[in-house]
Amino acid sequence: MARSLLKPRLIKNFRFRLYLIFTATIALLTAAFASFYVVTEVNGFRSTLEREGRLLATVLAQNARLPLFAENGEALALLAAGTARYPSVLSVSIRNAEGRVLTEVRNPKYTGSGAIDMKVEVTSPGLISSPEEVLLGHAPVDEKRVIGRVDLRLDTSGAQERLKRLVAATLAIGTLFWIVVSLLSYQILKRVTSSFNLLMHGIEEIGSGNLSARVNLDSDDELGRGANAINAMAASLELRELENLSLQEELLNAMKLEVQEEKKRVMARLIHTNKMTSLGLLLSSMAHEINNPNASIRFSGHIIAKIWADVVPLLDGVWREEGEFYLGGIPFQKARGALAENAAKIVENSERIARVVQGLRDYGVGDGARLRPDLELNGAVAAALSVLACQMQQDVSLKTALGSDIPVITGNQHQIEQVLINLILNAMQSFPEGRGEVLLTTRHDRAASEVVVEVEDDGVGICAETMERLFEPFFSTKLDRGGSGLGLYISQYIVAEHGGRLQLTSSPGRGTLARVILPVRGCAPEGEGAAT
Amino acid sequence: MQLLRTLLVCLLLLVPLPALAYDILVLQSLREKGYDEAVRGVKRETSATMRTLVLSDYAETDITRIIREEHPRLVIAVGDRALDVAERLRNTPVLYMMALHAKPHGKGLITGVGMLFDPARYLAVFDSLGSKRVGVICDPARSGSYLKRAQVAARRSGIDLVVREVHSPKETLSALDSLRGKVDALWMLPDVTAVSPETTEAYFLFSQGERVPLVSFAELYLSMGGAVALGIDRFDIGKQLGALAQSVLDGTPVENLSVQPPRRVMLKVNEGVLRRLKISIAGGG
Repeated sequence: MARSLLKPRLIKNFRFRLYLIFTATIALLTAAFASFYVVTEVNGFRSTLEREGRLLATVLAQNARLPLFAENGEALALLAAGTARYPSVLSVSIRNAEGRVLTEVRNPKYTGSGAIDMKVEVTSPGLISSPEEVLLGHAPVDEKRVIGRVDLRLDTSGAQERLKRLVAATLAIGTLFWIVVSLLSYQILKRVTSSFNLLMHGIEEIGSGNLSARVNLDSDDELGRGANAINAMAASLELRELENLSLQEELLNAMKLEVQEEKKRVMARLIHTNKMTSLGLLLSSMAHEINNPNASIRFSGHIIAKIWADVVPLLDGVWREEGEFYLGGIPFQKARGALAENAAKIVENSERIARVVQGLRDYGVGDGARLRPDLELNGAVAAALSVLACQMQQDVSLKTALGSDIPVITGNQHQIEQVLINLILNAMQSFPEGRGEVLLTTRHDRAASEVVVEVEDDGVGICAETMERLFEPFFSTKLDRGGSGLGLYISQYIVAEHGGRLQLTSSPGRGTLARVILPVRGCAPEGEGAAT
Repeated sequence: MQLLRTLLVCLLLLVPLPALAYDILVLQSLREKGYDEAVRGVKRETSATMRTLVLSDYAETDITRIIREEHPRLVIAVGDRALDVAERLRNTPVLYMMALHAKPHGKGLITGVGMLFDPARYLAVFDSLGSKRVGVICDPARSGSYLKRAQVAARRSGIDLVVREVHSPKETLSALDSLRGKVDALWMLPDVTAVSPETTEAYFLFSQGERVPLVSFAELYLSMGGAVALGIDRFDIGKQLGALAQSVLDGTPVENLSVQPPRRVMLKVNEGVLRRLKISIAGGG
């Protein structure tokens, strides 16, 4: 296991790789030089042997020229024997021009391990002319005539022995040289790569995240300059890291503050929503508590009116009979009309209270998600206005122009009222000085088979940036004045649920027009429009 | 028309006639520098008109026809081959030169200048070298008569000629071997049997080995180890033959003229060899 781990580490080690390359290169070079030396020596020895043999053969051929011409066998035998005495000569033979062997000497020491055959022709001397040509003044012509041949066989076993010794010596010297040079190169590499290892150690330390680590390399070479650059880079990174940490901390604190603020806002909205829910419940309870006495009052008014109607003829007879008399300190003739009138006012105001209470109850409790197929748009407008009656400001003029031919639509009255209340409230809050005019219009677009409600004001208008975010939930420019940021968001949702569209058109400083467009379900009766 | 053609042919036949009127026909064996040199010597010596034919340019029959038709008063044969051709002429006197194989005494209408000096010239050189036993190797078939004359002259000069006869070049080496320790000098004759390209070297080896001077017939051999050379002067041979030709043209019968040896000797000495052999020529060289 340890070996298997050590092997990849060694292979990936720069020093080991360099050492491997060095030693392999030195081994190759040593082998190449040794081979070249051996081959050169062998060739040189063989060449020397051949040259020696050729020289011997040439000398023999030179000496044997005259005996060969004279075919003097004895002289040739002596010459051949003299040549055969050389240690490397295995055999000598001399032949005439016809190839007949005139003499031959063989050396018995021949082992058959290797031999070189040397053949040298014996020629007549050149540059020698016949007497006749000499007398005629012919220039000598170097024309040699072959008169025989000397065959020499040389023993190469000595060369092979020498080759073996040479190879052994070369191998030994080469190996020794390789070992010495490898050791030297290891020491040199160790010295050279120590700086590199220091640099790598420092880089790895910095790379592992320890930015305070430094490369402790004190030299002025490339590695030293590289170490200085890395140290500078590490210092810079460390500084940035500290800056980043500081920034992160600041950001975290800011985010915490933001979250707290958002939490406060959300809680405020929740409280507001809860308040609204409680308000609904309160309204419902109030309606119940008001409706009972109010019904009693209305009933009492009716009873009073009925009773008065029955009493008046009797009292008229009394008046005619007795003259003027007072009822409650008021002359009968004045009290006769005022009582009937006050009774009627009791009934009327009681009914008004009942409507207001019903409106509050409907707004607070609602009637759920129930859709009415006969929803009258103008009725919804009136209900909304009755809810907002108490919110009306003295300096804000609310004008209505309700169409009389508005067909009934399918929808949830409570939700439509809620949309209208939101739009009217927004219009009423658009006046910076609390003074302005709001125009509420309903109409029927026959061509598109749609009914339209428009709430237009001449307030401050909406800037373009705000316009882009108007329908975002919880976006409000009136959070400080109790706005929830949900009015338009919910209104758009309700209108869309009814298959309609909510459009806002505004020019900053010139007012805003909110338009609710709802589809018509069924036919609408014809009629004239009326303005209030 | 027929007449015109006949006249034209006759005219063409007559045109070369003036050019063919000459006294001497020179038959030269080859276009050879040595032959040309000798012919120039002839021309220097005689004012006779001559025509030169180089045998290698003609067929033998043409040569015979030309001689028969042109009737020269004298034929000069230059070289052995030319002499062979000229020897067939019956009625025309023939003078030869530069013919190594010519019969020394001539025959009939043939005479000339030989290639070999008078043996006395060589013997005088041996005498001046102080050599009393002179080795000679020759082929009797080629140099027999010259050797006899030399032996006669040697006896008169008190020099002992140790002669070895050979009949083929191969025998020269054994002949030389047989002379070892028996001679004071070696005489190299221009005998193609005794002196062949293969055996020439042996003479000089003998001279070197036995420490005896070698006297040869050409200066060329001095560079190979010869001690003294008695060379011929080819131009002078030509002049010598020219004088003979002039006398023949002047009326001297050829039969009265014997074959002459070259009259001018060009003696050359290899001082280095003589110094090594510790020999000096009496009376200078």
